[in-house]
Amino acid sequence: MSETKQTLRSTAVLAAFLVAVLLLWQVVSSLALLPSYAFPSPAHVGSRLVELAADGSLWPSVKASLVRMALGFSISAALGLLVGLAMGTSGVVNTCLRSVFLGLQTLPSAAWVPISLLVFGLSDTAIYFVIVMSSTAAMAIATADGISHIPPVLLRAAQTLGATRRSMSTRVVLPAALPSIVTGIKLGWTLGWHGVVSAELIKSSVGLGFLLHAGRELNDAAQVIGVMLVTVFIGLILDRLLFAAVEKKVRSRWGFAPAAARA
Amino acid sequence: MMNSARRAGPGANAVPAAAPARISLSRVTKTYVTSRARLDALGPLSLEVAEGEFVVLAGPSGCGKTTLLNLIAGFEPPSEGEIRVDGRPVAGPGPDRVMIFQEPALFPWLNVLDNVIFGLRQHTHLSPAERRAIAEHYLELVHLEGFARAFVHELSGGMKQRVALARALAPEPRALLCDEPFGSLDALTRERLYAEFQELHARTRKTVLFVTHNTREAACLADRVLVLTARPARIKHVVEVGLPRPRDFYDARVSVLAGQILAELRSEIAEE
Repeated sequence: MSETKQTLRSTAVLAAFLVAVLLLWQVVSSLALLPSYAFPSPAHVGSRLVELAADGSLWPSVKASLVRMALGFSISAALGLLVGLAMGTSGVVNTCLRSVFLGLQTLPSAAWVPISLLVFGLSDTAIYFVIVMSSTAAMAIATADGISHIPPVLLRAAQTLGATRRSMSTRVVLPAALPSIVTGIKLGWTLGWHGVVSAELIKSSVGLGFLLHAGRELNDAAQVIGVMLVTVFIGLILDRLLFAAVEKKVRSRWGFAPAAARA
Repeated sequence: MMNSARRAGPGANAVPAAAPARISLSRVTKTYVTSRARLDALGPLSLEVAEGEFVVLAGPSGCGKTTLLNLIAGFEPPSEGEIRVDGRPVAGPGPDRVMIFQEPALFPWLNVLDNVIFGLRQHTHLSPAERRAIAEHYLELVHLEGFARAFVHELSGGMKQRVALARALAPEPRALLCDEPFGSLDALTRERLYAEFQELHARTRKTVLFVTHNTREAACLADRVLVLTARPARIKHVVEVGLPRPRDFYDARVSVLAGQILAELRSEIAEE
């Protein structure tokens, strides 16, 4: 069976499954086991989303979350790479930071929100802080792991071919750790996305988190579920747009088997 | 294809060939000390390798042959004694002494051509186009001109080791340090590479230190074979190979010499 045919087939299977879930949801909600303000039907959620889009409240919020994420995640990725590089090349730095980072990773993104508000007040800086604290550690650890797993013979080969100390980092260490770094960045993106929405829940007048919060205030479960779906959708799309191509390229270059068919 | 590669010659598209290196070791030892044990890996060992000489180090496995190359390459310092290249003490790895490892050690993030270009970056006077031309020339020498754009994982083991050879030769090092570079290859590929390697050595005249435990390989390639003792490695016996080049791997005289070297090695293993 050709690859395209297989992809088409798995896409069709997925579509059928999603339709089945929607139908089940519609049926369960029509049984009216819960009041409709708590458990709206998919049709209700859909029409609420259309309203939000039409009255101009959805798009500015999507844009605000994305812009915050773009800036916050850039800072976080740069920090994660630099700290990971330091951890990967220095045993002392690694010993000191690794356990701290592993500890910090056990904190949910939302746990950073109160301290961030106390320190930075009601500013966008507070949101950037939450994004950075949610995602930097994961990227630093992935980078450090990638570096520590570089086969020593590759480093020696580079040295014997005259690589200087400085060119070792940029031309050898970082590219050699790339597969692991890409994995870390993907994970960091997801964690940062959690962070931005969590922070907006509590502090903000625009953003996906704000829309969730506003929906709750208005007892509007249709809006809450609709915005949750939009959040998931955007997270997935960006993962595909930003990282799938890079990951595919890295995998084919290193000769790894293609990632298992993910629909 | 081979003819055109020869005609291209090392002329215009090459880094100016530096004079081959003279390598001298005086009473070099290497001892690894851990909290629990002390391991004498090498020496004391003294050795003079002349400019352009092809010296093969043959010894029982685990005798410290690789350690010796690592010291000369500058990856580790000797515990005692001194290593000099052209009279200057070795202070660390450097592109005047390029090592070829047991495994190809190619960079998977670069294609074949860029792997060969890697070692040319130190020659800052070359333009990117010149580096490329030189790299292409060396890929022709190892008969891989059609694979410049290939990824490393797309090559067979023998092809990878040939890329490693081209990558090591392109920057015109003054010495090549070879650590059983053909050890993991199948016999057919290996025999072809002996011929290519001899041809390259005849043309480029580099100082070569070549580690192996294959006695026929030693007799086929070397000007001089040093049979090493079991750990800690010292020089047990020296065999001068006066045979004319190029030598055929199955030449009777090569076999006779290989037999002599093997006898020396066997007696070393027996004494152990």
